[in-house]
Amino acid sequence: MSAELDPDAALMIRVKEGDREAFAELVNKYKQPVMNVVYRMLRDMTEAEDLAQNVFLQVYKSAHRYEVSAKFSTWLFTIVRNLCLNEIRRRSRHPADSLDIPHPEQEDQPWQQFEDKRTASAPNTLLHGELEEKVDEALADLPENQRTALLLCRQDELSYDDIAKVLGCSLSATKSLIHRGRETLKQKLKLYLRTGAWPESK
Amino acid sequence: MHQHPHYQRLLELSWRRKLTSSEEAALRACLAAHPELQADWELEIALSETLARLSDAPVPSNFTALVLQTVERDGAQGRTRTWRWRFLQGKPAWLPRVAFAGVLVAAGLLSYNAIRPRPVEQVAGGLRVVADVSSLPSPEALKDFDTIRALNASPGVDQELLALLQ
Repeated sequence: MSAELDPDAALMIRVKEGDREAFAELVNKYKQPVMNVVYRMLRDMTEAEDLAQNVFLQVYKSAHRYEVSAKFSTWLFTIVRNLCLNEIRRRSRHPADSLDIPHPEQEDQPWQQFEDKRTASAPNTLLHGELEEKVDEALADLPENQRTALLLCRQDELSYDDIAKVLGCSLSATKSLIHRGRETLKQKLKLYLRTGAWPESK
Repeated sequence: MHQHPHYQRLLELSWRRKLTSSEEAALRACLAAHPELQADWELEIALSETLARLSDAPVPSNFTALVLQTVERDGAQGRTRTWRWRFLQGKPAWLPRVAFAGVLVAAGLLSYNAIRPRPVEQVAGGLRVVADVSSLPSPEALKDFDTIRALNASPGVDQELLALLQ
């Protein structure tokens, strides 16, 4: 894939040369898809924001390693997945530890002190309420690789091949993960999916 | 995975996008041939719509600015780290050389110790031992030792005869 064909790769070439505007353009383009995946992987808005910022920081720092032949979104979501996995492993090792607890070296950072978190309410308080929370819960209960496969499947810019690259498995294994994840979701959400509404007893 | 490859293929397409009219026609034909798949298909469509309706996670309006700020701060820290690293690297740069020189000196000392001229006293002591050895009778001189010793073992002086002679 040449840089002329992939505008993201062209931007990354500029980022490699230290162009902050090109980097800001990439951040603006991908911040929403990245946040969507990260939030549904971690289910914590504050941690999702921190991790999403860290994703883009890694993109900037690793720009010199980016191969123009690689599709940028595939490379980006590989970083997303790796950082999410690290965070999930960290949580499993230190269940009580949270990124909400400020690190001593971060306490003097103005943006950490004064950022208004009220503007970033959790998605389950928006639009769909309980329904969305149930879908999120069902997604969260899936094994990590099935959940990641399903979340990446929602990204228009990623093909099945790209998702397979991010997950580091074959195309057929990727489709199998998506299939199994969807089967589980269908079982869990069957009542809603059939009636179009959650039963009152739920 | 489903037992019907054609249905499975259409299903996989429907996970990513809406089916085209020709694909929908193929699906209708497939469902007509396999009516047991109808319920599954309806659930699949409902699930796809539900997943598509999931709202986006809210992104702070200043997200990009925060990222750029983090990059800037990290860059500054990186420069500091680089300076510190270079400073620290100054030590490893000369330390191996000093260590190597130390090894060379130690090896030289050991070699010198092995081949150096011995002190005079030590040489004199050695000569003394050699001189003592050289003062001993040669093995040639000792070859008749037993005969001579046997001669010594002859009867003692005949004192009576000696007295008469005197």
